[in-house]
Amino acid sequence: MRRIWTLGLAAAGLCAAQTELKNPLANVAGAAEEGRIRFRGACSLCHGIRGQGGRGPDLTLGSYSAGSADADIYNVIFNGSPGTEMPEFGARLEPEEIWRLVTYLRSIAGREAARVAGNPGLGRKLFWEKGQCGQCHRVQGTGGRMGPDLTRVGRQRSLAYLRESVLNPSADLTIGYPTITVVTRDGKKIAGVQRAFDTFSVQLMDSAENYYSFFVNDVASVKREFRSLMPDNYRALYPEAELSDLLAYLAGLRGTEEKK
Amino acid sequence: MMVCKVLSFAALMVSAAGAAEITRQQLANAQTDNASWLTYGRNFSGWRHSDLRQINASNVAQLVPQWMFQTGVQGKFETTPLVFDQMMYVTGPTNHAWALDLRTGRQIWHYYQPLPKGVSICCGQVNRGFAVLGEKLFKVNLDAKLLALDVKTGNVLWETEIDSIKKGYSATVAPLVAKNLVLVGVAGAEYGVRGFIDAYHADTGRRAWRFWTVPGPGEPGNETWGGDSWKYGGGSTWITGAYDPELNLTYWGTGNPGPDWNGDVRPGDNLYTDAAVALDVDTGKLKWHFQFTPHDTHDWDAISDLVLVDVVRNGQKIKGVVQANRNGFFYLLDRTNGKFLLARQYTKVTWADGIDPKGRPILIAGQDPSEEGTKSCPSVGGGHNWQATTYSPQTGWYYFTTTEGCQIYYKTFQEFREGQLYTGSTGSPILMEPATGAVLAVDPATGDTKWKFETVTPPTSGLLSTAGGLVFAGDREGYFLALDARTGKVLWKFQTGGMVIAPPITYQFNGRQYVAVAAGAAMMTFALPGKP
Repeated sequence: MRRIWTLGLAAAGLCAAQTELKNPLANVAGAAEEGRIRFRGACSLCHGIRGQGGRGPDLTLGSYSAGSADADIYNVIFNGSPGTEMPEFGARLEPEEIWRLVTYLRSIAGREAARVAGNPGLGRKLFWEKGQCGQCHRVQGTGGRMGPDLTRVGRQRSLAYLRESVLNPSADLTIGYPTITVVTRDGKKIAGVQRAFDTFSVQLMDSAENYYSFFVNDVASVKREFRSLMPDNYRALYPEAELSDLLAYLAGLRGTEEKK
Repeated sequence: MMVCKVLSFAALMVSAAGAAEITRQQLANAQTDNASWLTYGRNFSGWRHSDLRQINASNVAQLVPQWMFQTGVQGKFETTPLVFDQMMYVTGPTNHAWALDLRTGRQIWHYYQPLPKGVSICCGQVNRGFAVLGEKLFKVNLDAKLLALDVKTGNVLWETEIDSIKKGYSATVAPLVAKNLVLVGVAGAEYGVRGFIDAYHADTGRRAWRFWTVPGPGEPGNETWGGDSWKYGGGSTWITGAYDPELNLTYWGTGNPGPDWNGDVRPGDNLYTDAAVALDVDTGKLKWHFQFTPHDTHDWDAISDLVLVDVVRNGQKIKGVVQANRNGFFYLLDRTNGKFLLARQYTKVTWADGIDPKGRPILIAGQDPSEEGTKSCPSVGGGHNWQATTYSPQTGWYYFTTTEGCQIYYKTFQEFREGQLYTGSTGSPILMEPATGAVLAVDPATGDTKWKFETVTPPTSGLLSTAGGLVFAGDREGYFLALDARTGKVLWKFQTGGMVIAPPITYQFNGRQYVAVAAGAAMMTFALPGKP
């Protein structure tokens, strides 16, 4: 059995698209329960304590962006998902542990997807024009670079999370996006998004995409805050119907070609 | 000129001939041997303090790199290198080890044993270093093996299985040599193992004794475990103990009870988890124990260094042992009998309202893990974790790193299955409240904080103090630092380019003092400018 898994491991590493892998634990008693325990430790931080999603996609829907076969789920856990925050677990988890996770995910799948009611075409206009979101966010190579790139955000975030991110941007920050405010010794104030931060230095980018690097000892003050630089007035800006359109647009950003 | 060269070469040959044999006497005198670093904690008391002062507070700003050895091995380097007879001996992750030429950093030999499948490792494929006696270097492999390597070649002289990986055991600890015995502990409390401390004969690898950190039926302490829970009780022993030759006792900290976050299935105090145990070196018999966190539900292993320090309290000299426990309190005990002397909170704590006069935590309700998650402080890694600490007899202060943060603790019910993760759920960091940290200087007699150097993330490295009035530390972002031992002021820093997790060491070679530390996947040395 061990040899089979080792071969499977090699196949997963070499050729992620192949789907010949079969879940050897699909009908094994207790595998889903062990997967649940593992899930809480390895996955819940992003996918929620019950897989309901959050920072990471909702995994209770039964549809997965990487494909719906057991092997597809295995491969995503093993290799990670390039271009997203999903890391590779192949070096950290044994193949059988990954299969237990797959078995667990199968056991919680099937909850009906939250319906996306709005019109994505109208949402696109609201995003680029009324909301001016492209000043800071980039989609398919167009837009600003101070905020997170949203090209695949519909795959990365649950609908509920997207809604909260629009209405209350500081509720939960994307990793690596705290706000830094530096006051120089001559009193100049520079605010931007963190690019790097340690005890002795800070690097940041402001809204004009200027890059700055300072030693902490050379400036008057450095403040790091876990709040977003994104305006928090979108609830006032977008009536509920428009918000619904905007969310439909965001939920449809799945990394495929997007025409403006 | 040519004559001079030949002569110096001959002199070197003489100094090297017959070397590389470390005696029990040398280990006993390790503190005064400035040319060497012979045991995990530098001396048996675990001080990690060097009497060298060539590098000192007035000149450390000039410190520059001397050589760097790129191992090419991925993973966390937690090794304390050993140094003697012109060589540095370094262990790395995933069963790697090297002998490096002290002059140049060139590799002399490399040991590697591929990791077999099926080893359960919760927290990285790490190793914390060698021990030495005679011409043998001792190390554990992750797959719960203890080995003796030939100091000259790295060849395996003997190898013994500590216990079965199928049961969830693994090993990461640097062994401790006491008399002719090699003492080791095990990891695996996240897999429902039953912890122990073992002693092996240095010459043969034959086991001399075993002390179970979770007592079996009929043994004192077994009554502190409800039902059969003792069988999976944890109490791993993954950080090297200390040794008092006068008292003939060895002191080890024990890890969390299993499962970590669900205490419902193991009613009782769960002895001897989260405790300090003092064992007779010859027999492994328990002399005393002190449990820091009875019935722990937060994963607060008591494995942090147990450092043997003599202090004066109320005019009376006391043979003490100190620990900065993961549970957020600094402790001083009498090491002759385990008597509780004091505890002082050193970081944010929400689970206990202090420690009572007998040494037992005064619990705050509502702080246990729950199905929906409970915010509690310190975080799972504790206020201070395993990172090596240092005691400076020059300042009389004890130095350790801290984590200032909280975590969400989850609980769930879980069936035990041999070799499988058995934690009773998880702890989850609070992403919007990332932990910060500090290096602390504490008076061991009172627990008073003398200074605090704050860092934006918890410092990851171990510490070293020197008679040059310095404390060396490293951080997550790759900085290696020298702090003023009296004030905590940063006197020097170097960006190593890799996380500094390992403890620094220091030694004198050819008249110059070096400081060495592993950072990222490299071993590097520093000295004042001059001819190597």
